[in-house]
Amino acid sequence: MICLDALSVDFDERFQLHDINWTIQPGEHWLIAGANGSGKSALAAVLAGEGTHLSGTLSGVPDRVALVSYERQAELIEAERRKDDADIMDVVSEGTPVAEIIDADCHDPDLAQTLIDTLGLRPLMGRAFRKLSTGETRKVMLIRALTSQPDVLVLDEPFDGLDHNSMAWLQDHLSALAEVMPMVIVLNRFDECPDFITHVAYLENGQLLHRVDRDNERAYAELYQLLHLKTSGLEIPAADPAARLPALNPDAPLVRLTGASVRYAENTVFEDLNWTIEANQSWQLSGPNGSGKTCLLSLITGDHPQCYVNDIMAFGFQRGTGESIWQIKQFIGYVSTALQWEYRVGTGLRNVIISGFYDSIGLYTKSTDTQKAIADEWLALLGMSERADEPFNTLSFGDQRLVLIARAMVKHPPLLILDEPCLGLDDMNRQLVLALVERICLDSETTVLYVNHREQDRVPGIDNHLTLTE
Amino acid sequence: MANYFNTLPLREQLAELGKCRFMHLDEFDEGVDALRGKKMVIIGCGAQGLNQGLNLRDSGLDVSYALREQAIAQQRQSWKNATENGFTVGTYEELLPTADVVLNLTPDKQHTNVVNTIMPMMKHGSCLSYSHGFNIVEEGMQVREDITVIMVAPKCPGSEVRAEYVRGFGVPTLIAVHEANDPNGEGLALAKAYAVGTGGHKAGVLMSSFIAEVKSDLMGEQTILCGMLQTGSLLCFDKMMEEGIDPGYASKLIQYGWETITEALKYGGVTNMMDRLSNPAKIRAFELAQEMKDIMRPLYWKHQDDIMTGTFSKTMMADWANDDSELLGWRAETAETAFEKTPAGDTEISEQEYFDNGILMVAMVKAGVELAFETMTSAGIIAESAYYESLHETPLIANTVARKKLYEMNATISDTAEYGCYLYNHACVPLLGDFMKGIRSDVIGKGLDVADNAVDNARLIEVNDAIRSHPVEAIGGVLRGHMADMKRIV
Repeated sequence: MICLDALSVDFDERFQLHDINWTIQPGEHWLIAGANGSGKSALAAVLAGEGTHLSGTLSGVPDRVALVSYERQAELIEAERRKDDADIMDVVSEGTPVAEIIDADCHDPDLAQTLIDTLGLRPLMGRAFRKLSTGETRKVMLIRALTSQPDVLVLDEPFDGLDHNSMAWLQDHLSALAEVMPMVIVLNRFDECPDFITHVAYLENGQLLHRVDRDNERAYAELYQLLHLKTSGLEIPAADPAARLPALNPDAPLVRLTGASVRYAENTVFEDLNWTIEANQSWQLSGPNGSGKTCLLSLITGDHPQCYVNDIMAFGFQRGTGESIWQIKQFIGYVSTALQWEYRVGTGLRNVIISGFYDSIGLYTKSTDTQKAIADEWLALLGMSERADEPFNTLSFGDQRLVLIARAMVKHPPLLILDEPCLGLDDMNRQLVLALVERICLDSETTVLYVNHREQDRVPGIDNHLTLTE
Repeated sequence: MANYFNTLPLREQLAELGKCRFMHLDEFDEGVDALRGKKMVIIGCGAQGLNQGLNLRDSGLDVSYALREQAIAQQRQSWKNATENGFTVGTYEELLPTADVVLNLTPDKQHTNVVNTIMPMMKHGSCLSYSHGFNIVEEGMQVREDITVIMVAPKCPGSEVRAEYVRGFGVPTLIAVHEANDPNGEGLALAKAYAVGTGGHKAGVLMSSFIAEVKSDLMGEQTILCGMLQTGSLLCFDKMMEEGIDPGYASKLIQYGWETITEALKYGGVTNMMDRLSNPAKIRAFELAQEMKDIMRPLYWKHQDDIMTGTFSKTMMADWANDDSELLGWRAETAETAFEKTPAGDTEISEQEYFDNGILMVAMVKAGVELAFETMTSAGIIAESAYYESLHETPLIANTVARKKLYEMNATISDTAEYGCYLYNHACVPLLGDFMKGIRSDVIGKGLDVADNAVDNARLIEVNDAIRSHPVEAIGGVLRGHMADMKRIV
């Protein structure tokens, strides 16, 4: 059993892993996943004894750990180059031939010969190692690792740079090997995850955030989605050019509340509140439970009946002067737990997203082809393309939240209101939602009004804060 | 006051009964314009009053609430409802003289009193709106000649009227203009704008008459909608007890069975509901329904006759005058029935099982829907009205039974519906007594005990033809087609 206990590791002050807690039990095969720069390769390298331990402990690592990685590959090539430079004889050195490199740490010559043929390296055996192409070098590294009879095999992006046939062969070979040898594999692409993998470790910013048992299908799917949102090159889909919103006066604030108050017979929720939301000025709204955050938002959305007895200017309308609620709602995208509760429909996901164009719960109008195409782009961004026709009410709570955020954003509203978008979500789903919100904040011109009371759920790009007190 | 309907000559009675048309969405292109800037004052801040007001205001209209002085002084629930929702609240004297449209959303039995009180305060040329025509048609209320009288009746409980609006949809709505009170010819425009203001146009609007609304609404609610479900629940439960079915199972089969069965009815009429049964069960249900129709036909006729002649309303108003003594007594009896007192068990019942083990319930729905429809149309009510007041609304009541069982269902529906429901139930339970003696658990509780689903071809064809060619299926196909154009795309 390999055990990392609160382990922090430094890599030449360039990168650090923080407080890693991780146990690899016998019989487990792990995949290490995460976005670029999250620390995947570093964690793999730690198992091979690299990095300087700052604190915590690493125990149970067996004697022989074989690591195949770009770093190792680069080191070996670098060593070859130095060998060349260091030659004091005035002759042109060819460097170490491939055959020698393979033999250096070979414990299974028969296997080595088979692999040389299988991977098509036979004609290259006499050539200098450093003259090989990247893909060829990678094959040599793999042969070295596989023939070294290690106790643990650690492969960092093993399929990278391999041609199709070699990749298929390697996958089969690893599957067979998995019967007898524990493996840890680093992959950028989750969908390449080999079948024998039993667990997934997810890293972000040098921290090991999730350890997911692959048998836990839901957690595995969520992790897949999270990685998709973090790593896919997809962008926030554009608005529907045919459904352009009425133009707003660019110099006027989006919303202005003057001396706002909400009162019930028994209590006053808040009073004399002044608040102006300018365009492109995102806000975070916080305050303890019961301080009236949702109440304040619903004055803006028009869902609170007392919006009619307050001085509210919203999107060019002085509220209560004959405007309809739909004229207000067209400018707002809105997500909250309450909305999610309201949204108990069997409508398919695509139509749920399209319903954002109409501000309706459920879809009551025939949608256009453009709207369908935009909805499909959103589903692709969420990693839910396959699920476009699944009924909304059969989704997990976290997936529902993601779809509702897409619904809120689909029309690119001038104002997006996210009322505790992470409420009721577990850690993984919280990160999923935050990843999506972060992309929205970065990729669009929507002004975001973000309500939460968890300090760690901050979103980059939101600079203004309004705090309500009890 | 005389019964208004009875003062009309027969040809006018028939003409009014025959009014009902499904309106097209493009007839509502003017939106709420006819009401824009007008002062709308609502009387009655119960579920309908409050929720319609919220919708109308959210549609950009000017809404306030007139309450009695005591209600304001004592800060009663109606006052709280209106003020906490940010509405202007005032006394009749304060608000009515300047009102352009007065919405009377009080319970039926208060109408005479309310209208007599407010009429002198209403300004010349204003509009009075009802959501049910009982006061005009049955009680013969005479409204001042300069006042326009319209009806806008959302066909759902108030809470749903609001919930559907908030979702961006609406509930089916019936509108009408009282021909005797349309001095400026603006009644229809006002009624349409009002229907748009509540969101009803999105779900479908029927243009009817006060008379057609009252005579069909009363008939539907007391027979198939509430009466048949009440009688059916009691009879089916008692039979299952007799047959040794587990009480929790029996209670659940009935409480949720009506809803499940009528969901199929809602989507595809009697045909689809019957098609959910196996072939042998379908033939059995068909035969049971035929038998019950023959037994119950005179009862449906009697209900319709009493409604047409005004006997029903006279009887009920006598009970109003007697402090609802009959109504309250019957309501208490309902609470004491075995079905009501047996909670639903926690056995899982699949959607299909409700059909398979509830063949008699399917037969009862079929018999009730067809009889109510046949009786209404034979009495001069147009097929459209008859369809809505029989088949279309049955699932709504079934849904109430699923949520609240009988006692609460009765407390939720209008007093008028409840009174009629008890009248029906008291006559129908003994009427079906002999019939029920022949019933066994194969048609209620357990399902048919057959080796296979073989049936005689000729008989099946005969039965299918009879089901599909009933007139309620013809009109239902047309109306459901209209609705589907507008309905949510799910």
